[in-house]
Amino acid sequence: MKRIIVKNLNKEFKLNRKGGGSVLSHLLGTFSGGKSQKLRVADDLSFDAGAGENIGIIGRNGSGKSTLLRLIAGIYDSPKGSIKTEGSLVYLSGFGQGLQQLLSMRENIFLMGAMMGLSNSEIKEKFDEIVDFSGLKEFVDAKVFQFSSGMLTRLNFSVMIFCVKHQNPDILLLDEVFSAGADIDFQERAIVKMEELIHGGATVLLVSHNLKMIGKYCNRTIWLEKGKIRQMGNTDQVVEAYLQAASGRLNS
Amino acid sequence: MKNKITHIISLSYSLAKANFKVRNEASYLGILWYLLSPLSFFLIILHLRTTLSLDQGIEHYPVYLLLGLIMVNFFSQSVASSIDIIRSNANYIKTMKVNYEVFILSTVFRATFSHLFELVLVGVTLALLDLSLFGVIYYIPILVLYFFFTLGVCFLFSAIGVYFNDLKNLWTIASQLLLFATPVFYLVKEESPLHSLNLFNPLFGFLAAARDVTIYGTLPSLQLILVLIAVSVFFSALGLFIFNRLKRSFAELV
Repeated sequence: MKRIIVKNLNKEFKLNRKGGGSVLSHLLGTFSGGKSQKLRVADDLSFDAGAGENIGIIGRNGSGKSTLLRLIAGIYDSPKGSIKTEGSLVYLSGFGQGLQQLLSMRENIFLMGAMMGLSNSEIKEKFDEIVDFSGLKEFVDAKVFQFSSGMLTRLNFSVMIFCVKHQNPDILLLDEVFSAGADIDFQERAIVKMEELIHGGATVLLVSHNLKMIGKYCNRTIWLEKGKIRQMGNTDQVVEAYLQAASGRLNS
Repeated sequence: MKNKITHIISLSYSLAKANFKVRNEASYLGILWYLLSPLSFFLIILHLRTTLSLDQGIEHYPVYLLLGLIMVNFFSQSVASSIDIIRSNANYIKTMKVNYEVFILSTVFRATFSHLFELVLVGVTLALLDLSLFGVIYYIPILVLYFFFTLGVCFLFSAIGVYFNDLKNLWTIASQLLLFATPVFYLVKEESPLHSLNLFNPLFGFLAAARDVTIYGTLPSLQLILVLIAVSVFFSALGLFIFNRLKRSFAELV
């Protein structure tokens, strides 16, 4: 059974006319015939993923990895090509999801949980587990702006992981979620939790620069370059080719 | 569908509560600020009314002024903060699949919280003038209509605000014009040109109806009630429609 089917997906971003210019600049742009530059962020992408399959996505910065996940998640609108997904879907990004600096950790957990779609009573149920897992019990009522970046990572990750586990999605889109910053203790626990999630039967698309992680969890890997699929197939082969290309660039 | 709506409403409520808290915890006077700004304007106008002969024989002038003031405030502040609400929530919008509607709804919820606080001032003024507090109950249905009207305008402005940064500056001027053009601290006689102008001003009708029930203990005319219902339905439908048309590209534009 296919969970994700992507066919001939195309997506362009307008570069110069990033939304919200002033009226004047719009007018000037029209008069001077200023053409907005376009960037192709997804270029005729086609692939599919079966139930329970884990697929890695690698590529250099700006090659369209996050864009692809956001297109699949429906965060970006995709006018061209088709994306079909089957079942419930969760998109997770490791880049802080808006903790409120002036709120306490407790309030942030409730707010983030609500943003992730849990009801108040569901969060209450999970609350102690989340706090225990984060190891930040003594700071539950402290304001988040005083937290160190490692503590923020802990908090962010703990809330995320428990909310996702609760939702138990069929498709999991993970965008660089193994962000470092937390200490070894926490990283080890985090990886165990992450593995539970990845091996829990969901279809996983994993975007990461951590090739070890990709090698460990994914049997198939997609290598993106400038929005195109450069290579797709067995993880070991793709990662090797990717590394070769990288060392080639370094040597030249 | 029903589940989705309940979810949107409860999430908006949580967001509004969090925002409300954030705003107040960082300041010493906290929620008193909500009362101070209308209160200071109220006192200034009240002081000037004889000099400028503003009251033109308006009965129970202080409460007439205060109610008008907080209603216009509710509207212009909701709109002001919704203009850049999508942009300021870019971190959520880009990293999560959320219903964008919650951000706008939470803005208007928050404005409603403070409006309810300000309403206490109206109650106090009513009591000081030896008027019945009973009318405040009849104000609630009008507030509900006013809420939906405001919400619609906020949807509209928040969507357009993603495309035009200038809207924020434009609104600073427009909301001042609105405050002075709407009969907040004076009375518009039916024969004056300002009256015909105000027939196109939705706030005018809401203010008139609210004052009727809260201060003067009379029901607004059936015609006015129907107009207000039509206005709130029209604006909330229009706002939602435009918002829905434009929202698909928000994530790319913020």
